Amino acid sequence: MSSQTIATPDLPLAPPPTFWNSPGLRRFRRHKLAVFGAAAIIVMTLACIFGPMLLPYSDTFIDIRQRFAPPFSGPHVLGTDPLGRDILARLLMAGRISLAVGFSAMLISMAIGVCIGLIAGFYEGVIGSALMRFVDAMLCFPSIFLLLAISALIEPSVPSIVLLIAMTSWMEVARVVEAQIRSLRTRDFAVAAVSMGSSNTRIMFRELLPNAVAPIVVAATLNVAHAILAESYISFLGYGIQPPTPSWGNMLENAQSYLTSAPWLAILPGAAITLAVTSFNFVGDGLRDALDPRMDSH
Amino acid sequence: MSKRPVGTISASLPMPALHRRDILALGAGALAASYGFGARAQTTKAAPPPPAKPTGQVVVGLSQEPTAFNPLMPGIEVDETVWMQVFNTMWVADPQGNLIADLAAEVPTEANGGISEGGLAWKVKLREGVTWHDGTPFTAEDVKYTLELINAPGFKSRTRVGHALVKDIVVKGPHEISWRMEKAYSPYLALLSNTYIVPKHLLEKASDPNTAPFNGAPVGTGPFKWGQRTPGDNIMLVANEKYHGKGPYLERAVLKYVPDQVALYAQFRTGQVDLIIGTGIPANFYAEAVKLPGRKVVKIPNASLEILMPNLEHPVLAEKAVRQALYASINKQAIIDVIFYGLHKPTESFAPQESWAYNPNLPKQEYDLAKANKILDDAGWKRSGSGTRMKNGVPLEFAVSTTTGSSLREQCQQLMMQDWQQVGVSMKIANMPAAVIWGDFYTRSKFQSLLVGTAFRTVIDPDPASRFASDAIPAKNGNGANQMQWQNAEVDQLLKAGQETFDQAKRKAIYWKLQEIARDELPILPIYQYVPVEGYKEGLVGYEPNINARQNTWNMGSWYWAR
Amino acid sequence: MGAFLLRRLLQSLGLLLIVSVIGFAILHLAPGGPLSQFAAGGEMTQADLDRIAEQLGLNRPLPIQYLEWLWRMVRGDWGVSFRDQQPVLHIIGSHIGATLELMLTSTLLAMLIGAWVGILGAIKRYSLFDGLATIGAMIALSIPTFWFGLVVIYVFSVGLGWLPAGNRYTIGDGSFLNQLHHLIGPCIVLALVSTAVWSRYMRSSMLEVINQDYVRTARAKGLPERTILLRHSFRNALLPMITITGLHVPTLLSGALVTETVFTWPGMGRLFLDSISYRDYPVVMGILMFTAVLVLLGSLIADLLYGVADPRIARG
Repeated sequence: MSSQTIATPDLPLAPPPTFWNSPGLRRFRRHKLAVFGAAAIIVMTLACIFGPMLLPYSDTFIDIRQRFAPPFSGPHVLGTDPLGRDILARLLMAGRISLAVGFSAMLISMAIGVCIGLIAGFYEGVIGSALMRFVDAMLCFPSIFLLLAISALIEPSVPSIVLLIAMTSWMEVARVVEAQIRSLRTRDFAVAAVSMGSSNTRIMFRELLPNAVAPIVVAATLNVAHAILAESYISFLGYGIQPPTPSWGNMLENAQSYLTSAPWLAILPGAAITLAVTSFNFVGDGLRDALDPRMDSH
Repeated sequence: MSKRPVGTISASLPMPALHRRDILALGAGALAASYGFGARAQTTKAAPPPPAKPTGQVVVGLSQEPTAFNPLMPGIEVDETVWMQVFNTMWVADPQGNLIADLAAEVPTEANGGISEGGLAWKVKLREGVTWHDGTPFTAEDVKYTLELINAPGFKSRTRVGHALVKDIVVKGPHEISWRMEKAYSPYLALLSNTYIVPKHLLEKASDPNTAPFNGAPVGTGPFKWGQRTPGDNIMLVANEKYHGKGPYLERAVLKYVPDQVALYAQFRTGQVDLIIGTGIPANFYAEAVKLPGRKVVKIPNASLEILMPNLEHPVLAEKAVRQALYASINKQAIIDVIFYGLHKPTESFAPQESWAYNPNLPKQEYDLAKANKILDDAGWKRSGSGTRMKNGVPLEFAVSTTTGSSLREQCQQLMMQDWQQVGVSMKIANMPAAVIWGDFYTRSKFQSLLVGTAFRTVIDPDPASRFASDAIPAKNGNGANQMQWQNAEVDQLLKAGQETFDQAKRKAIYWKLQEIARDELPILPIYQYVPVEGYKEGLVGYEPNINARQNTWNMGSWYWAR
Repeated sequence: MGAFLLRRLLQSLGLLLIVSVIGFAILHLAPGGPLSQFAAGGEMTQADLDRIAEQLGLNRPLPIQYLEWLWRMVRGDWGVSFRDQQPVLHIIGSHIGATLELMLTSTLLAMLIGAWVGILGAIKRYSLFDGLATIGAMIALSIPTFWFGLVVIYVFSVGLGWLPAGNRYTIGDGSFLNQLHHLIGPCIVLALVSTAVWSRYMRSSMLEVINQDYVRTARAKGLPERTILLRHSFRNALLPMITITGLHVPTLLSGALVTETVFTWPGMGRLFLDSISYRDYPVVMGILMFTAVLVLLGSLIADLLYGVADPRIARG
């Protein structure tokens, strides 16, 4: 599990002149890998959304006479699986699921992490430290241990897997946001808002949160990468998304028994996961540089 | 005859295990019942003679880890591979189903006077000259201690079935013991063939037998002594040169735990393990395995069936027509030939095909979607817009569950799903981890349907009362393992009649009738009878599959390597 | 210093308490239980199962079970495994060696390669090497560990036959060389992620140091570049790295669990997986507490070293 430490950059407080010429975007575009990553993500997403409609095969249609066809050997471009299903169709459908799981898990974990971080950072004191101790405690569990323990609680389905991943990956975000909010609280504009008698909720969501967007966006991107990986780990350990719904993780899990006789079954979904996760990591890295003005001085 | 649930369900984590708890149960009259069980896997050519003293080692590959070493405490099948080597029972069942005296001097019968008063009084003469691994002589006191410990209130004994009936245990001499039973209970003979005798002198010293040091380093009378254990990896046993029986011929026996069947097979192929038993070689490797040079791969007899177990209280599955339509649209041949590489045998009965009670005249299931459609049409299930049939507002849908991580079973589920879709049945897959599925979900019938491997009889007796009788439903406070909740008055009658007579011909007629009813009513949808695959290195002499033993290490004391 | 340490220790104890409540709740609320494995066997009747549940104390209310567990824990009694009746600490003790062996060797490997790649990347910033190293590290962080393990097995064990497909040693051999041979595969797989992390951190740490005044001074004094690198930059860049290692204990443990599964390595990860599938509550709780202690120790050491390295860091 790659749990990259997320940097907490200082904030660009001045509003950007125009979108396209903003220094941030210029920095992002300069970051070739990030651009590559973003392009790869867009291509993959489009392929997963529209690809299955263009293929002559369905991802679940079983044709046992065609089983174990190797890639590039016949009508099935990437070959077939042990039940004779078209692997390309399955890869694309699995991509829908895996990417959807990645994005939804990210959204939920960001929601949890941001809220907890916001509250903890704003209310410091007892509430704040209680919340942060809870975060610390959750971080004491190695992520796989936590995933495994909770996956025992639930019946595997797409929504429950999303929840499971979200529940185990919001802590880093909470930390980042908490640190950010704590430092923002003492800034002039926040102090001014307090003195003007704005409500706490208003200060939190209207004044502080928009100023903490940069690290949140970075964390969100890396979180998608983490969630896609996590889905594959859960599947590998036997608690993943149920057949016949394909996901990259469960395709990989089922390929294990055929590693010697049909290695393509394992190589293709593994490569898909690696490509997707790498792309999100590239983008996250690029965003971090783009949103961190210090990078200009380097 | 009393009931004893011996439904043997695949519990292995994560792959289905085949359970081999089919010890010979003897209804007094059925004693001579000839079981056609037992296939000789050994080639018939003369084996070389065993070595003069224990030499060499064998590495037995297991896909589960033996962890319970006190043979009276809770354990799973794989633990018995250890118990069989370190301990002895009073008698054991051989592949043909005969009971062979081991710690006893002879197997008690009504003929030799060991069992009298219609089964109420038992007397057993024990073998002399047997010593525990620490040199202490084995006596009748040990047997008495063992039987008493099982019933001791605070002791976590595995099961008290049968043992709870024992009373008035009397040691009549160092090698003779007797006891009385509260009621006649003929399966007790079979039960004792699986009750390992533990040493009194070691366990009574412990303040609490539940936590005695003995439980981590057992001492028995068996062919192998406890050597050492590397938890999570292997257990090494060493030859007991003072063993009272044949052998041992091997100096060391290593029970190697490889947590994954595929990895285990890989290690068998590369030679890191000498043989694979228990869960065996996965079906998808069979074709490859038989071609391995220097390896023998054998199909072994097994009494377990793979079935779809419907919950008969489920609104849809309760209807007989639905079950019949489902059964007609299972492509058994594709499942067996394609997913399981033709290994398993299709079956129509709940009885294993080797049993004397097996009815071979049951109508053969045919994969016929048109017929399935007709049955459903006739029963009033109308196709709706989505393609799923409806009747009185209830859609024809249900879930099939099995343990997660079993990829061949998952393939099987998906094949059934596709066929059933074509007849307008919507099936969902809801697999769960073993620890969840075999909890209340199974025992209290909370499932909709299960894909399981199991057996329907009492020990080795064909009596399936504990699985089919209406008073054996745990979800309705019954005592038994009728988890599908089948209730049928005629069946109850037949089951009772089958238990009351000792006349095999009469019983056969009863069980044939029972199989006909079950084939028609389909309280279970039988798919195939298991034919698991085990493998060993060429040159290993003595390995012999035994359908009546729990594990095929049952005779490991007499194994040796041909030089 | 003493006060800081005491405060941190108290804090850690508090954290451990929260960890134990969370862990205990998650485990015991999960459906199924330790008796499922026996129920599946079919030999034991419902009456037998109920009796054993009673004897194991599984029928009592959860809070009571938790308090009992806590009270035993406080007295140093980690409980007894449901599965093999051995004391939990003893079980952990017999598995920890294999895991430590794997973690330490792979960390060492990761440090060596990561430091080398990082330093070289920092010195030759924006070079082709630096670019490749960056991409390589990113990919390494993105590969599912188990998949990489499977590929290693497929290529080096099944294909080339160079490495054993699993296990810690050959039974009946167990010599040092034999163990080393078995260690290579899992070590490489586990080291992959750490190497990536190390090289990234080493690079930025090195970049920061290179621009520090004392390095410039050394360079101005005309010291050879090699001496500057090793004596001045590397040493100062290394300290923060050690703290990184401390903070990466959880990641490493997760990686170890997966690697052990793929390579059938008899360590803590395997034990945890087995224990959780059998719902062996005492062992699972024991491992959770044990790893939590490791993680807390790691971060404490990281903090301490960080304070030593940079006295300006205020201790919170």
